[in-house]
Amino acid sequence: MIQTGIPRQAPIQLDAGRDGTAPILRLSGLAKSFGPVAAVKPLTLTVGRHEVIGLIGENGAGKSTLLKLLTGVHQPDAGTFELNGRPVRLKGPQDATEHGLGIVHQEQSLFTNLSVAENIVMGAGRKGSASTRGGIYRWRALHREAAEVLARIGSTVSPATIVGDLGFAERQMVEIARTIHVACRTAERQGGAPLVILDEPTSVLEEAETAVLEHEIARLRAIGSVIFVSHRLEEVLRICTRIVVMRHGELVADRPVDGVTEADLFRLMIGKDRHARTREAVPPVTGTPVLRAEGLTRAGAFHDICLDVHPGRITAIVGTFGAGREALVRALFGAEPLDGGRLEVAGRDVVQWSPRRAIRAGLAYLPAERGVESAVGGLSAARNLTMVPQGRSWLLSPAGRRALAEEWFGRLDIRPNLPGQDLARFSGGNQQKVVLAKWLRLKPRVLILDHPLRGLDPGAGATVNACIRAAAAEGAGVLLLADTLEEALDLGHEILVMRDGEISARFDRTTDDPTTLDLLEKMV
Amino acid sequence: MTSLSETGSGGAARRRGLAARAGLAELAILLALVAIFSVLNPHAFPTLTNLNTILNNAAIPIVIGVGASLVVLTGRIDLSVEGVMGAAGMAFVLLSANSRETADIGWLAYPAALAVGAVLGGTTGAIHALAKVPSFIVSLGMWYVGLGIAAVLFGYEMIPFLGNEAAVAWPTATPLGLPNSFVLALVVVGLGWLIERYTRLGRYAYAIGNNESVARMTGIPVAGFVVAIFAFAGACSALAGVMGSLALGAGSATVGVGMLFLTLAAIVIGGTPLGGGRGGALRTVTGVLILSTLYNGLILVGVDPSIQSGVSGVVLVAAVIAAGWSQRARLRVFK
Repeated sequence: MIQTGIPRQAPIQLDAGRDGTAPILRLSGLAKSFGPVAAVKPLTLTVGRHEVIGLIGENGAGKSTLLKLLTGVHQPDAGTFELNGRPVRLKGPQDATEHGLGIVHQEQSLFTNLSVAENIVMGAGRKGSASTRGGIYRWRALHREAAEVLARIGSTVSPATIVGDLGFAERQMVEIARTIHVACRTAERQGGAPLVILDEPTSVLEEAETAVLEHEIARLRAIGSVIFVSHRLEEVLRICTRIVVMRHGELVADRPVDGVTEADLFRLMIGKDRHARTREAVPPVTGTPVLRAEGLTRAGAFHDICLDVHPGRITAIVGTFGAGREALVRALFGAEPLDGGRLEVAGRDVVQWSPRRAIRAGLAYLPAERGVESAVGGLSAARNLTMVPQGRSWLLSPAGRRALAEEWFGRLDIRPNLPGQDLARFSGGNQQKVVLAKWLRLKPRVLILDHPLRGLDPGAGATVNACIRAAAAEGAGVLLLADTLEEALDLGHEILVMRDGEISARFDRTTDDPTTLDLLEKMV
Repeated sequence: MTSLSETGSGGAARRRGLAARAGLAELAILLALVAIFSVLNPHAFPTLTNLNTILNNAAIPIVIGVGASLVVLTGRIDLSVEGVMGAAGMAFVLLSANSRETADIGWLAYPAALAVGAVLGGTTGAIHALAKVPSFIVSLGMWYVGLGIAAVLFGYEMIPFLGNEAAVAWPTATPLGLPNSFVLALVVVGLGWLIERYTRLGRYAYAIGNNESVARMTGIPVAGFVVAIFAFAGACSALAGVMGSLALGAGSATVGVGMLFLTLAAIVIGGTPLGGGRGGALRTVTGVLILSTLYNGLILVGVDPSIQSGVSGVVLVAAVIAAGWSQRARLRVFK
């Protein structure tokens, strides 16, 4: 047994207590359940002044629920929540900002047609700021007000610039300024300091832009504190002063950043080291691979990828955020271009690859962004299920559709058994099953699954996993991007590890029995 | 300065953006039209009399356009223009000294007519915002409700002629060198510009048109502002109805016929996209002037009037294609 846990330490309270000021944020016993699923188990966290806290955890570890509790989107079931020494009960993100706690999301919420100054002041909410009082804009005062806020966070963006003309990092600065504008005022009125949550701010930024952001975070630290949520561990280690790790809804580590390595953090995120849970026979490699890639390359994403997907076998790809897995599978499906390499489907070279050709050749792709790219809300489940035309049959009679839907609802145990109901009204797990059925009914040669369990509760995840195994048993070659290492170990017959756009290790379960730690070593 | 403006392509993009924002392309089209018609018909077109004709014809659509642009800025549309004009125009005539001698409340007839328009517009906005029905369909209904009100007011009696000769002559008089109707239109445009530029109502219209869900997340009471904007648009249409009635010298339910197409076309040609968020009243003035110059010029050149509506349709479609050209992309979603 390898020791993976880092002993839990008492939270550091930088200023708290020392000069008599209360910590900015104090959570104790905060908990939230959705039905039987405990998304956040009773959790205690204190954020002092001038801290940059890295909040990390795997998908589904409870990070986003915690953020929603912090910003008032969800109400906690239990526990106390104090901001700057006062107990609060927040009604929503706007209310949170007015209490001195601002959140900046990955999806930006700025008006691209308005100036930087207006966007900053608009965030002041319904009452507006001094420069728009009475419903009349005083532009000069407004620009001055915005310039002051920007100067505070050290941003060089001009208040008069239209946001649409700015780059992504600069827009993020404007968002931060907008949040700070309100949060600072409240916090200072109450004798406290603002807390800014940056929710995966760097995932869309270029390297140079990230450097700008780091600079801003250092500035923010002088004013208040920052909670930095990111999947990029090296960034977390570089930027943060303290790291909080969540796993299965629990806070499993809370410690200063000194001496911690990326591998330590990964171990904390995945928890106990273990082998695959299943011991069933691994199907042998037979016949020609249904999908073969040789030297696939795409500048900036992945490099010289060689892989074979065989019928009846599940190939799982694991890797850290930014290892290039997502871009690779999208390129395999023709959804993103390739710069070089050869791609074969069932022994035949492919040219001019596109999703349309890929589907005709027998590929199926389940995107990670269910709401955006795969499930069509507003259409019935049956129509979603029969959306991809099969072969030459462009016509599908209502009776035919009903029969198909009933068959697949039965096979995948989709509930409620109402194929005519709007897909948006199904739960996430059942939506995913409908989308999966959409592809399975075509009997694909290759089934590419991009994070099929994202956002699903464990029960739904188990049934979706069973569907994936059944599809492989029926002869499809499955390529799986798993959310967690356990998932990859439990499902994969072959496991490929990607690091920095290259395949760093291959494990075939017929001969190898890797543990999560073995995979991890090749990932970082 | 920002890093973006330092790069060449960024600077170019910004310059293009500035040109588009200032509406220079539309102004150039207007000037080109004036130049072409002046060459084609040097005796009749570039004269003061003809200028006044063009401006007088432009006055009513400009007044409507100020309110309608604000509605379009939010990403909504107001199709009730002609109905509101009819109802408010009839209300104005029947409340003024007229040949039917219904009632004469003197100058109060003007605010009363505007109130009729504001109430009709506000109702459209309220139904749209509260019942969450597309503004397109609610205002389409309100168009016919307005026409119905006007028809009921008109009744089966004789046509009500306005009694006040001075008022009837006022729109076309030119004491300031330009027709009074156009001067009034400019005042309304000025008001619209102030609203767009300096009030929360106007700025929020831009914000809502750019991204309504963000506007809601930011705490902007979208529904309230939308109702206010529709009421303002209704009042603008009502003023246009009053102006139309004065021009006719009589009450008519159909005082606004043809104005909806003209105004909407002018808004789009002027550079306020129907999706909202960009453009404004000043742009619409250019749009109206382009269309009224085109109509006037075509008549003077001797083009058959029956071809004109076809020509204006072609101009509208061409303008929309030109406006969207820079944004076309293979996978762009358009509806």
